[in-house]
Amino acid sequence: MQDRPEHVLDELVLLTPGAGEHPVDRGGDAIVLEDLAKTYASGVEAVRGVTLRVAAGECYGLLGPNGAGKSTTVGILGTLVRPTSGHASVAGFDVIAQPREVRRRIGFAMQEVGVDPLATARELLVLQGRLHGLRRAESARRAETLLAVVDLADVADDRLGELSGGMQRRVDLAASLMNLPAVLFLDEPTEGLDPRARAALWGALERLRRRLGVTVLLTTHHMDEADRLCDRLGIIDHGRLVAEGTPALLKASAASDSLEDVYLHYTEKAA
Amino acid sequence: MTAPASLLLAMRSIVQFPRNPILLGFSLVPVLMMFLVFGALFEGVTRLPGFPTGNYFEYLAPTAILLTTVPGIGNGAVALAGDFQSRYVYKLLTAPISIGAIVLGRLLGDSVRLCAQAIAVLGLAIALGAHVETGIPGAALMILLGTLLGVVTFGVITANLALRTHDAAAVQAILPMAYLLIFLTSAYQQPEQIDSPVMRTIVDANPVEYVLRPMRDLMLSGYDWPGLVLGLGVILALGLIGIPLTVRNYRSVYR
Repeated sequence: MQDRPEHVLDELVLLTPGAGEHPVDRGGDAIVLEDLAKTYASGVEAVRGVTLRVAAGECYGLLGPNGAGKSTTVGILGTLVRPTSGHASVAGFDVIAQPREVRRRIGFAMQEVGVDPLATARELLVLQGRLHGLRRAESARRAETLLAVVDLADVADDRLGELSGGMQRRVDLAASLMNLPAVLFLDEPTEGLDPRARAALWGALERLRRRLGVTVLLTTHHMDEADRLCDRLGIIDHGRLVAEGTPALLKASAASDSLEDVYLHYTEKAA
Repeated sequence: MTAPASLLLAMRSIVQFPRNPILLGFSLVPVLMMFLVFGALFEGVTRLPGFPTGNYFEYLAPTAILLTTVPGIGNGAVALAGDFQSRYVYKLLTAPISIGAIVLGRLLGDSVRLCAQAIAVLGLAIALGAHVETGIPGAALMILLGTLLGVVTFGVITANLALRTHDAAAVQAILPMAYLLIFLTSAYQQPEQIDSPVMRTIVDANPVEYVLRPMRDLMLSGYDWPGLVLGLGVILALGLIGIPLTVRNYRSVYR
């Protein structure tokens, strides 16, 4: 999954009208959160007044301890979780008022892989494309391309239940790209992957951003991943955004050249 | 033109089912075994005065169809719980399709599967000498009634359990309860042969009985139109309660 898929992605962009376009809100941002809050029925305040903006084409990383509110925030943006208050929009559409418009424009890969173990990789991707309104032939062609991008063309017709966790995660990523989303949400995309699989996934993400101009919002616990992939980072703790900026800026603010120090600096402060 | 999401998802559930050989086997084998065992055990009742047929398999065939469709629909709920456990359901929920399409797709797919299984069971009855008085149209109507009843009774119960627990094992645990719905009817004996007044009351209160009776008439004597209308009315009423409840419970997955 190194250089080979480059030409496939080029072809995909050329053949897909609208690919690489950046639907945005009036302010030019692909993701907008304003004073967003979520309190679950159990009383847990998972998100407390988060405000942030992600520009079109940007890769934004959300860092924070377990239970900090990262997954809830991503869940709200992916239309899976209803916010208690505040406002969130993705690609110019309100996540509450226009969830279907949001879903048309997003890809979503969750912390735990979401694939059908009885389906083959190809079947899963083709179905996902068709649920996004693609015709069978177009969906099959796109599935073929994306399986090549994630370097799984050889196992396209194997049942997903028989593939390794790393392979399933790559299929999940490919499935979330079937609609060539304007915005891609990745919740801890490399959790549980070995270093080789992680590097492969990073490579695929970088190619996708370069070729398709996808806006990416990812959550991660891996500082090296955040450093390599993200243009900007937000550190979230106890449901609040406690720091935000480019990796370089954040390092400078914590007087360190390590993102790990930055993370500890801001999360300790919040605690 | 692209296919509606519900049809695409129905096709998925149809393709998926045979890929789980244990589920496929266990959804058919117990019914066939029960059909053969009860057929042998109760063969003597055909000699009772007034029994409508000399071939007990003929009497038992509508029951066997219900034994296929009512517990069998539970396997769809097991698959639904499996979608939660594999988290694939969230892939569906972030696609631009409605909850209704997801529920309808599952129901359609499972209905096609149940019809195919019911045809196999009826085929066995015919091979054992049973005869469908109303021919192919009556047989088709019998299978349709059985399938719809399965969907609106045990289908609704198990789907809601799957939606609440997200646990395939929990759904599987209640599958044997489906047989109660059928045992508490005139499935094995004619209503007038049930001596206990308590049992007669229970049988009369069981909605399944109102679908089983016209099904049996289709098998043995002909079209009982008032009975068919009543049976379809029972199915419609149960569906009007159960399906919106299921859709509502499905919506609760959005936290």
